[in-house]
Amino acid sequence: MTLKTWIKTITLYDLLVGMKTTMSHMLHYKPITLQYPHEKRTLPDNYRGMLALLRYEDGTEKCVGCDLCEAACPSRVIRVVSAEVPGEPTKRYSKEYYMDMTRCLFCGLCVDACPVDALGMTREFEWSVYDKRQLHLNKEQLLAIGDRSFPVREKQLELQHPNVAFFNVAFKHLPQKPG
Amino acid sequence: MTEISLRLAVSFAQILAEMSIVMVTVATMTYFERKILGWMQDRMGPMEVGPYGLLQPVADGIKLFFKEDIIPAGANRAMFKLAPVLTMVIAMIGFAVIPFGPDVTMDMFGMTIKPFVVADINIGVLYILAIASIGAYGIILGGWASNSKYSLLGGLRSAAQVISYELNVGLAIVGVLLLAGTLSLVQITEAQAGGFWHWFIWGGRPDGFFPIHTQIFAFVVFVISAVAETNRIPFDLPEAESELVAGFFTEYSGMRFAFYVTAEYANMLLVSCVAASLFLGGWNAPYPGTILEYIGLEQLAWIEHIVWFTGKVYFFLFLFIWLRATLPRLRYDQLMRFGWKVMLPIALANIVITALTLYFFPR
Repeated sequence: MTLKTWIKTITLYDLLVGMKTTMSHMLHYKPITLQYPHEKRTLPDNYRGMLALLRYEDGTEKCVGCDLCEAACPSRVIRVVSAEVPGEPTKRYSKEYYMDMTRCLFCGLCVDACPVDALGMTREFEWSVYDKRQLHLNKEQLLAIGDRSFPVREKQLELQHPNVAFFNVAFKHLPQKPG
Repeated sequence: MTEISLRLAVSFAQILAEMSIVMVTVATMTYFERKILGWMQDRMGPMEVGPYGLLQPVADGIKLFFKEDIIPAGANRAMFKLAPVLTMVIAMIGFAVIPFGPDVTMDMFGMTIKPFVVADINIGVLYILAIASIGAYGIILGGWASNSKYSLLGGLRSAAQVISYELNVGLAIVGVLLLAGTLSLVQITEAQAGGFWHWFIWGGRPDGFFPIHTQIFAFVVFVISAVAETNRIPFDLPEAESELVAGFFTEYSGMRFAFYVTAEYANMLLVSCVAASLFLGGWNAPYPGTILEYIGLEQLAWIEHIVWFTGKVYFFLFLFIWLRATLPRLRYDQLMRFGWKVMLPIALANIVITALTLYFFPR
């Protein structure tokens, strides 16, 4: 043992270095804690939170009951019962629409799959409940979530025409609607 | 007859006052420990109950009081109930000989009372060592009576650890006893009067000679052994959370659990008081006399003494928390090797050197 290490040992040098570190952390007190229920972090812009069904500005549902979201979902959250619009044989809508949010992993694939932008991801994340049955949402509940999260949704005129279905409206890098 | 009952009443009043001081300090310690530990780890500590979490000890107390009292199947019920009480009582009665203020006497009801020490017995240090050793019984009994492997392992570790480090505490104190020539804590403290360099950690002679009687090695040994004796991190093997759930009090809940926790903090407080009294001059200020005495308030000098004593005790308590925030837990063989092969030789050598220096340079 050299003299230097010997001196370090008897003066408890390593211990003092460690204690200096903790003391400096206490003196330069800068907590990384976020007092969660009282203060909340700012969410990133592309935050994927609770799923919601959306409406057009005039109050009609966007969903056309195509089942693509159900097909895209990796964890089988979504169940769609599609039906014709009564009196309009060319139009379809989702008669029933269920989401079992206990299984959802918030990947957003259903939102990507939707051809008419009828699904959206809100910024809600405080969905803890005491009864997990409360997370089995039906169409009215999903529409209500959409209504409170997107009160104003710009109306996309080209999607109003009853006989026209356009794809890839939301993705600018993909082929766009002609004209 | 009346005199005896009067004496008893005065003693009870003193005990009650001392007990309440200890309990309040323990409660504040639980708060400060969590708070300081939080600050050192870039957290906040308790913040919810009351402003800055100040009512957290109260909330903890109420919660523990109303929790279910579970006695595990197969436990030795009598021992299981006795053990936390034993630990708690042992931790509390050690404070009887601690002088937390100057050695003044007060005449009240026709008898002489020492207001700042409950019992000024002439074997105070011995008493504290004896009491601290009994504390191990509460721990090992609780561990054994729980009928749980984790509790038993924790209790056994604790017994081995306390016995090993008790020895070092006792040997570290011997140097101080040689310097003071008495076992009474009051007289040991009084022997350190007269300023910073007269404290036994420096052991300076009254004529201001080079501190040849220094007890700083004994002080370091004492503090390290005290941390081990109170089962604190880095020597918290008896209650190693990651290995033994909670060690000897794994099976305890409710008030019995609270007794163990209170006893742990009371033990910390006790060894802090002893360390302050033995090595850092107890209630003596680091300058000769007191400021209040200089400005003509001799009657109030005891306030300054008590403030100094409290400051020293809290320095040690802070040191305990500081060590906890800094160090990881030792391995069991490291603990034993450190105690027997490092601390013990230092303490023994300190006794020899102190005795020799005292022989050649008597005080």
